[in-house]
Amino acid sequence: MAKILEGTAMKFFQKWGIPTPSYVVIMNPDKLKQLAEANKWMHESKLVVKAHEAIGGRFKLGLVKLGLNLEEADAAVREMIGKKVGTSEIKQVIIAEQLEHDEEYYISIHSNRYGSELLLSKYGGVDVEENWDKVQRLDIGIDETPTKEQLTDLALKAGFNGDIADRVAKIAGRLQLCFENEDAQSIEINPLVIRKSDMRFAALDAVMNVDWDARYRHPDWDFKPVSEIGRPYSEAELQIMDIDSRIKGSVKFVEVPGGEVALLPAGGGASVFYSDAVVARGGTIANYAEYSGDPPDWAVEALTETVCALPNIKHVIVGGAIANFTDVKATFTGIINGFRASKDKGLMDGVKIWVRRGGPNELAGLEMMRKLAEEGFDIHVFDRSMPLTDIVDLAMSS
Amino acid sequence: MSILVNKNSRAVIIGGRAGLNAAKRMAEFDFLCDKPLTVQAFVYPPEQGQQKEIYHGARIENIAVYSSLEPALSENPDIDVALIYIGAERAYDAAKQALEADNIRLVSMITEGVPERDSKRLAKIAQEKGKIFNGPSSIGILSAGMCRLGVIGGEFNNLKKCLLYRPGSFGVITKSGGLSNETMWLCAQNGDGISTTVSIGGDAYPGTDFVTYLEMFENDPETKAVVLVGEVGGSLEEEAAEWLKKEKRRIRLIAVVGGTCQEVLPQGMKFGHAGAKEGKGHSGSARSKMEKLAEAGALVPDTFGGLSKCIKQVYEELKAEGIIQPEPEVDDAVLPELPKRVQEVMKEGEVVVEPLVRTTIADDRGEEPRYMGYPASELCKNGYGIEHTIGLLWGKRLPSDEEAEIIKRIIMISADHGPAVSGAFGTIIASCAGIDMPQAVSAGMTMIGPRFGGAVTDAGKYFKMGAEEYPNDIPGFLAWMKKNVGPVPGIGHRVKSVKNPDQRVKYLVDYVKNHTNLHTPVLNFALEVEKVTTSKKGNLILNVDGTMGCILVDLGYPSHTLNGFFVLARTIGMIGHWIDQKEQNSRLIRLYDYLINYAVKDEREVPNMMTKEEA
Repeated sequence: MAKILEGTAMKFFQKWGIPTPSYVVIMNPDKLKQLAEANKWMHESKLVVKAHEAIGGRFKLGLVKLGLNLEEADAAVREMIGKKVGTSEIKQVIIAEQLEHDEEYYISIHSNRYGSELLLSKYGGVDVEENWDKVQRLDIGIDETPTKEQLTDLALKAGFNGDIADRVAKIAGRLQLCFENEDAQSIEINPLVIRKSDMRFAALDAVMNVDWDARYRHPDWDFKPVSEIGRPYSEAELQIMDIDSRIKGSVKFVEVPGGEVALLPAGGGASVFYSDAVVARGGTIANYAEYSGDPPDWAVEALTETVCALPNIKHVIVGGAIANFTDVKATFTGIINGFRASKDKGLMDGVKIWVRRGGPNELAGLEMMRKLAEEGFDIHVFDRSMPLTDIVDLAMSS
Repeated sequence: MSILVNKNSRAVIIGGRAGLNAAKRMAEFDFLCDKPLTVQAFVYPPEQGQQKEIYHGARIENIAVYSSLEPALSENPDIDVALIYIGAERAYDAAKQALEADNIRLVSMITEGVPERDSKRLAKIAQEKGKIFNGPSSIGILSAGMCRLGVIGGEFNNLKKCLLYRPGSFGVITKSGGLSNETMWLCAQNGDGISTTVSIGGDAYPGTDFVTYLEMFENDPETKAVVLVGEVGGSLEEEAAEWLKKEKRRIRLIAVVGGTCQEVLPQGMKFGHAGAKEGKGHSGSARSKMEKLAEAGALVPDTFGGLSKCIKQVYEELKAEGIIQPEPEVDDAVLPELPKRVQEVMKEGEVVVEPLVRTTIADDRGEEPRYMGYPASELCKNGYGIEHTIGLLWGKRLPSDEEAEIIKRIIMISADHGPAVSGAFGTIIASCAGIDMPQAVSAGMTMIGPRFGGAVTDAGKYFKMGAEEYPNDIPGFLAWMKKNVGPVPGIGHRVKSVKNPDQRVKYLVDYVKNHTNLHTPVLNFALEVEKVTTSKKGNLILNVDGTMGCILVDLGYPSHTLNGFFVLARTIGMIGHWIDQKEQNSRLIRLYDYLINYAVKDEREVPNMMTKEEA
């Protein structure tokens, strides 16, 4: 799953013949004037300026500005670029033609188990939620292409008629082609607007997700996926992602500011249950993390140092199920090195470590962990006879 | 009983190294359950035609690698399962072929990062063909006592701890691979073990859903309860809840769902598995899944740690109801052990192995090589040189400083003798023919023998004999040599003579005799011989080979080691000649016609060959 930015989605739309407003993406505010000389629409229409970053709730943050002339747009661009929002900085803005329109529609397509589902409504924009029951749906099986009749039928059912129904059906067909050919997982256009005077349609706003696992068969994908967590990734998160992309196996890390319990568990499945157990026992988690697939010890070491560097943590949970093939001794070697380095930086004072694990070389791995007590770590080590998440119960009641 | 796989299931593994590793793990299970190997073939084009060695207990079985599925299946008609261990880019094609093959009824895929569209297509093909496509990202499937597909179950000892050598009453379905293993352990600890465990993989759209497997477990009389480990995202858990609710079910369901922590985490974040992601408006949240499952009648603990109690509770209830008859405990002692490696058994002193090789000079088993017990780096630190190393490895003792100096000088003096001699010339010819250094130098090396360099050994040998047998009888020695050997080795030179002495000989003799305290009976004897031979003919001097041989014998080196000094010294020269020619990019050497005397027959007609009948 990979969310992509609006500008990238617009490029896909143009490629597949889905109408969009005219737009440009810029990083350097000084370029706006030059672009305006080349693009007539920038003088002739009202403009919209939006921060082109993965930031949720842009409207409320004042990062979407409407109805501007070129001078006002220039001021808005200069205001936005370089602005800090939380931990992130706005680096790009998108300037689009604010299309005066008569009606707002809703159209989207989402992946499901058997293929996809196309959704269409005559009531788009902010009204879509309260008119959700009026949305018309069409199931499309994997590798199937809906016929013109099916799409027109859908448009008619959604309340469109005449020329507009034909045009909406055509756009729906192209959206499906874009979805199918670009390995998309979801595309939502809201609103799809129409200016009836010249029958011009445009996708004014769009959210698109593509299947990042399919990138090998799309050599033209020149973009990177954007953060899906409603805020840009932190430096530490990006670092772990970079390591993750280079190794056999995986390491993952997401920060949760303000938490007291740091998580350093093994396994994509078990790690979730450890996080759950902390929450269920009234604790606050400082992060989500996991390592799996027998990663190299240096990657686990880097993850350990990152986890231990989280501020104000009281516990580190080194949990894990009984591994199938991840070597417990080797991965624990990485964790132990990470602990030692963190202790040298004074990060382990007052931090309790809780360990539970099984799997290849479990005896040797657990013994190494137990020995850390001799080096002054406050460490509590348990083997497979301790139920998976019960170390969290012990930690929370300690 | 079991679902999906049983004792007769046989598999082909499509993939390379990871697949081979899985086959080895599967063979450990086969050995534990005393059944033939499950894996019968590999398909991996880069290694087509190879045989992979798989240990089945102590026996090695050789499993063929095929270039494609078709011959693998036609030559192994018992294969009914395909395991996909190939990279994401080729996984779809491999699985599709397998699903389309007549004999294959189950395809399980471990590959991670498979595009969702591909998974959906495979699920559709499987459905149309009435087959099962399990995965992607599945650690495997295991039916206790019957069949193991993949590395599911982990190490050999874990297989025993989890009672996987015999069927139990609990079915297990998980998305996570690690938790499938954990859950099998819990079923063994708190119940009577598992019937079958299926890991469906953590992708957003697994090829086969929970309900399909629940239905199979429901129809398997030996499975009495199922433990389902789900997680946030998708709707498979909700469907399982609906299935349970729909009608009275024979099996008891225990379910645990991961991801309630999503409530405090950033919206839209993704956990370790691709499919573990909450949808719009909290659809697919762990909390709602847990509620629906509990509502439908499943036992749902609030944490994974609570699963132990739930399994124990269900097990006790089923036992009380007489539905489960507890299995008699199996004494660990009757279970087989994996055969030990020879080293392990030797360490325990239970077996004696006659060594193949015996060494007295060097040891590589520590942190660094030791020569006659001395660590190499320590020798360097203490200022010893290559001449001491030669003394240690050839003479088995650390030479004295005097001895070492003599060795060093002998090597230096005989390191090269120009490009014309057989050794150097052989190397040069090879170098000019574009031959690599080791082969070119060994071409020169092959020249060392009776006529080139061999005199060192023979001189040392015969002068030693002379010094011992004819100490005061040079004519007697010369007569014996003439009768039994011929010209005296080490005596005579092509150009040098009494008047034009070989400076190397002069220097060596002077150095040894006047600057060291070495006792030199053999050299002295040779010099006496020289006096007699040079009186007959001026060029019958003691040459450099003879001088070296005598000194080395006087140093205590036995005659069979003497050639080593010449070989070592000349290697330095020959390497030099090879490098020299290489750097000049010299032309190929070919003899000119005028350097050859063609003592041959004139051209003539080839007679007809006799046919068999004529013969």
